Amino acid sequence: MDLVDLISEKRFIGQEFLTWLWWKSEERGGVVALPGEGDIVVVFEKHMLLEYGEGDSNESLICRGLQTELQEARTGLVMGKKLEQARIQLVYNDYEWNFTMAAALMEFRNVKLPKTAGDTGNGNDPEEREGMILERIFLIEELNRIVLELLRLFLTIRVGAEWREELQKVREWVARAERA
Amino acid sequence: MGFLKGTASYVRFAVEGELPENVWDFIADRVVSFAFRDIDDTYEEDSLGWVSVTNMFDTDFDYASYAAGNYVTLSMRLDERKVSGAIVKKFVQKEEERIKKEKQIPKIPRSMRVEIKERIQNELMRKALPLPSVYDLCWNLENSTLLFFSTSKKAQALLEDLFKESFGMTLVQQIPYLCGEHILDEDDADKLAQISPDIFV
Repeated sequence: MDLVDLISEKRFIGQEFLTWLWWKSEERGGVVALPGEGDIVVVFEKHMLLEYGEGDSNESLICRGLQTELQEARTGLVMGKKLEQARIQLVYNDYEWNFTMAAALMEFRNVKLPKTAGDTGNGNDPEEREGMILERIFLIEELNRIVLELLRLFLTIRVGAEWREELQKVREWVARAERA
Repeated sequence: MGFLKGTASYVRFAVEGELPENVWDFIADRVVSFAFRDIDDTYEEDSLGWVSVTNMFDTDFDYASYAAGNYVTLSMRLDERKVSGAIVKKFVQKEEERIKKEKQIPKIPRSMRVEIKERIQNELMRKALPLPSVYDLCWNLENSTLLFFSTSKKAQALLEDLFKESFGMTLVQQIPYLCGEHILDEDDADKLAQISPDIFV
């Protein structure tokens, strides 16, 4: 299958991952236990985009607001929409990232990297420049690594026997939004 | 934008293909061969090539300035001469009016109109200043992945072509399904290929 077909056929995997991650983070008040890493903070905030349908019949819903105001987005889930984009705060090992994840293609948008001490310095010195570049790369790669670990956690459950039970919990959480 | 400063937007690619043993010599040779060529003093319509991530005018890469640990950091620079449709339309009409007056004819034949449009377009294109766009990338040689700091589909397509031409290797965008193939064991990856969408309500 070529990449264009694959992107369209497997689009749901990223969207299911992001929706699951939202539930997973709310299940323990913004904390997700990552095997081998411990607890990490994952908070969905401010901005969400939900999608429904494909091609010409594609509809989208944009929700903005503070965390507590994401009720509308939850209602979108009740209508059968899936989460396509979300602004996420992720805290791990004293580092904090803020980024928007576009789920279907796994694009990282407007990534705000953790603040470090090395932000000032002499950019003309080749060694300092390489050090600065390597630090930026480390912070970006670390975010990628954690997101891939979260994806691994989701996919392992998704293809495993426990998915039915997990899905039931996600459905109950979505249903609570309907009653709220 | 944003690899070196400010907020960053990027997509991940897998780099498929084999690098030769003398990796850094190969990269040095390829980067310089496909370095950006300036078109400010020519009439070329566009130019695409590699520049340094810290300076878009640096195409010499002294002391392998693209190397940072096991990473190759480069920028892809595209300079394009562009003329807006409205400007072309205006000058074509102006020229048609001039010819009608000069030849004392009420209407210009179709074949001549096509010729006028082509001529005006070429003239305007030659006068236009090349507009630069710069896109950063960071290539991890250890695990053969690449981050490209733009979500523009057009820029991604240009990158895939330039990368293939420069290094003879293919870039494959790492959508979640393809990430799954890399991070799951073989059994789970096979199961992943079989699953269909679930309903969350």
